Amino acid sequence: MANLEEKLTLWYTELKGENFPLVGKKNANLGEMLKAGIPISPGFAITIHANDIFIQESGVKAQLEELIANECRETTPENIVKLSNFAMAAIEKAPMPASLEKHILEEYQRLCEICGVKDLPVAVRSSGAVSMPGQMETYLNIRGNKDIIDYIRKCWASSYCIEALTYRINRDLGVLFNIGVGIPKMVNSKSSGVIFTINPLNGDPSKISIDASYGLGEAVVSGLVTPDTYLIDKITLDPVKIHKGSKEIECVYRPGSSDIIEQDVDEARRQAQSLTPEELKHLCVTSKQIEKYYGKAYDIEFGIDADLNFPDSVIILQVRPESIWNKKKAEKKTKEPTDAMNMILKQLINGVKFS
Amino acid sequence: MAKQFLDPHDVPPIEGTEGWERMYPYYYQFSTDDKERNEYESGQLWYYDGLHYPEPHSPFDLIWDEAWYLALSQYNSRIFMVPPAKGIDHRIVNGHVYITPIGIADPKEIEARIPLFMKRAGYYYQNWDEIYGDWVEKTKVLIEELEAVEFKNLPEMEDESVVFEHRGIGSGYDLCVKYDELINMGFKVWQYHFEMLNLGYAAYVTFINTANQFFPDIPMATLTKMVSGIDVVMYRPDSELIKLAKMALELKLESNLDAQTSFATLKQELASSDVGQKWLAAFEEARYPWFHISTGTGWFHHNKSWNDDLDVPLANIKMHIEALQSGKDPSRPTEKLIAERDRIVDGYLDLFQDADDRKAFEEALGIARKVFPYVENHLFYVEHWFHSVFWNKMRDLSAVLVDGGMIKDVEDIWYLNRFDIKVLIDDMVRSWATGVVPAGRKKWPKEIEWRKGVMAKFREWTPPPALGVPPEVVTEPFSIVLWGVTTDVLKRWLSSLDVSDGDVTELFGSPGSSGVVEGPARVIRKVEDLALLQTGEIMVAPTTSPSWAPAFTKIAGAVTDVGGPMCHAAIVCREYGLPTVVGTGNGTSVIKTGDLIKIDGDSGLVNIIK
Repeated sequence: MANLEEKLTLWYTELKGENFPLVGKKNANLGEMLKAGIPISPGFAITIHANDIFIQESGVKAQLEELIANECRETTPENIVKLSNFAMAAIEKAPMPASLEKHILEEYQRLCEICGVKDLPVAVRSSGAVSMPGQMETYLNIRGNKDIIDYIRKCWASSYCIEALTYRINRDLGVLFNIGVGIPKMVNSKSSGVIFTINPLNGDPSKISIDASYGLGEAVVSGLVTPDTYLIDKITLDPVKIHKGSKEIECVYRPGSSDIIEQDVDEARRQAQSLTPEELKHLCVTSKQIEKYYGKAYDIEFGIDADLNFPDSVIILQVRPESIWNKKKAEKKTKEPTDAMNMILKQLINGVKFS
Repeated sequence: MAKQFLDPHDVPPIEGTEGWERMYPYYYQFSTDDKERNEYESGQLWYYDGLHYPEPHSPFDLIWDEAWYLALSQYNSRIFMVPPAKGIDHRIVNGHVYITPIGIADPKEIEARIPLFMKRAGYYYQNWDEIYGDWVEKTKVLIEELEAVEFKNLPEMEDESVVFEHRGIGSGYDLCVKYDELINMGFKVWQYHFEMLNLGYAAYVTFINTANQFFPDIPMATLTKMVSGIDVVMYRPDSELIKLAKMALELKLESNLDAQTSFATLKQELASSDVGQKWLAAFEEARYPWFHISTGTGWFHHNKSWNDDLDVPLANIKMHIEALQSGKDPSRPTEKLIAERDRIVDGYLDLFQDADDRKAFEEALGIARKVFPYVENHLFYVEHWFHSVFWNKMRDLSAVLVDGGMIKDVEDIWYLNRFDIKVLIDDMVRSWATGVVPAGRKKWPKEIEWRKGVMAKFREWTPPPALGVPPEVVTEPFSIVLWGVTTDVLKRWLSSLDVSDGDVTELFGSPGSSGVVEGPARVIRKVEDLALLQTGEIMVAPTTSPSWAPAFTKIAGAVTDVGGPMCHAAIVCREYGLPTVVGTGNGTSVIKTGDLIKIDGDSGLVNIIK
């Protein structure tokens, strides 16, 4: 196998977590998840090296370096805006080097064949080697050779958006910055949502908490709807609390197009639950597997793919460590070693507090 | 919303029942002329003990309430010196028993009781298994003594053995003594009943609360699975029936057990064949003691045992045969339950990050498991076995009183309280000895007729769920865990004072067993109604009895009027995996058979859809 550093693309099946300098964290994570047996959407990564070749061969790199060395030497807000505008416009209109384009399109073709769909809709996801939460773009429901190439350029361009640029400059990470791009099959989610492998409200490690609603995950993640919420016993997988959300709208692909739209959910579907008991159970089993693999509480995005049959339909889109309770030092509840007799005594004196 | 319930002294009397108080001991009355006692009574929260008593007490049946009034209280207050608790006080209103837990407010007194409690209760916990072993033995001895009690009609002439064996005592005296002995045995078995129960529940509650501290919202069903006894005596009667069902199939007797055949007919049919006799012998063997299980809770004289009506276990055997024929095995999957229990416990233990936390959980689980067999099994020995035999001994006595011309019918005795009966026997034996008509032969039949009328009126009365002043917060463990009386429940009861029954479309209870289900309701008040249950219906009952086991294979869920998350109905339903809401207060009066209802065993909500 050729040296990984020189590869322009790498399939998720070829990646593991430690490869993040090559493809960015999001992509490397997906590879690691596959290794852990976690069901993800099939796809491949366009390497950071490919981004580098692009800006070099297209001449954008030289133009940017020229700008930084002269006109925009001082890091003023005006200069950042100027740099950002220039870089994004230049990247979006620069020609893709022919060999790179050919290689990417061959891989896309292979993905179409794996999935058995012509002009397969994919997501085009930015993936930096340094975490810059939410600052770079992800494009959904992209299909066909031309759009794929266009949106990869848009993704690359997005690493020069004002927010990302300011973030890097403030942290001395440099202006020039290549990122990886992920090309997974678009999950045609009939339902989707977010899972915590603890109860995020109180840190209870014996629960799995799931928020789910209809359509693509955007509706839940961005708080557009009140989702169904499930609290599940992690050991027995029995539901502890189920609260049905109002789920007024859902995000779906605009038919035949490369973007998504919001639409109303009819009354009957609002009244029903967005996940079946089987899907719920499968998600819990998968979440436990993720938590066990990484050894700590995790925050997980998932979708139920309408194009696939259960259980293949259950797809994990993204995972990251849970950010609040993992950092809190596990609070010891037992102040001193105790025996059953003393516990009973304390119980009798203090009474019962649960309702 | 109302701030307090009706003052216990202000409950309006029911017209035509005036004088009902004399049906029960005077110490069960809310006081009228003692200012100190009167003030104490007005300041307490009294809740209706519907958990044990879905109906009013006939005068004799109050005996078991009297028994635990004494026994439970004394073990807390005087024997184990439970630091913050005295006893539970009892009163009766229109035939319905109200109870109130008595706490100790003075911190110094609580402090002083701690070392005493640690020493005394500690001894029991440390020697639990051994003491429980002795408990079973002495309870069985007591039941043997009970079985041996015989009541005989007073003879025209004493047998000559009285003379030649110079016994020195006659049948009149004998009858008085035997009655006293019978009553004393009843009180004694209830002394035994509470010997270990309060401590058992205290350990159980400690486990539940400890687990909740580490894992908020841990479902009660999960906790029960962690401690659940595998070899629980209460399941034994039903497993005997399953064995008989399997045996009937093996012996190809299913056609005999088909259809509506009564046990009497079946016995005749089977007696003519070898295999039939073999099955009958097995049936007979299972009867003692396992068919002493009551079809009710065992608290009332009309709660027949399987032995009293063999058609009941026979109907259950038929249900098991149907299940077996359709490929279902009704047996408890013991090995699976053990594996499941171990898996759940290991799973939870793995979640601990701190060694002291883990140890605290293990300690609490360990003690809960230790006490669990007693907490579950005592029911069979006392409420089922002992009570079932006891009610029939009372009937034997009653036949003697009928023979003596004191009362008209064997079933009339339940309208006399235990003191009435003592006086009546004294009257009867004196009239027998002297050879004149007894003084009370007109009085008692008339009194009994009047009391029957009073009881009928009591039955039509809906007892308010509580009287008096609610505490700001309920923390008393038994009220919460057994009776389901929590701060929230009291609030709901208070708010329901403002709504009339017909407008209610929502009822709240405690989550009994996880899951949500919708279906037609069927109100079941007594064991005979079980036959009406259709597959998929939701059973609505005052409370349930473990002997209703086969019905649980048919229903889709259950709702009860009374009980907390650890009451027996909830435990059984969790075992069967049925969504259940317990302690709704008045489910059987608000929900009508045929209503479409939806129950949520996770939140405790019941909706009447139409």
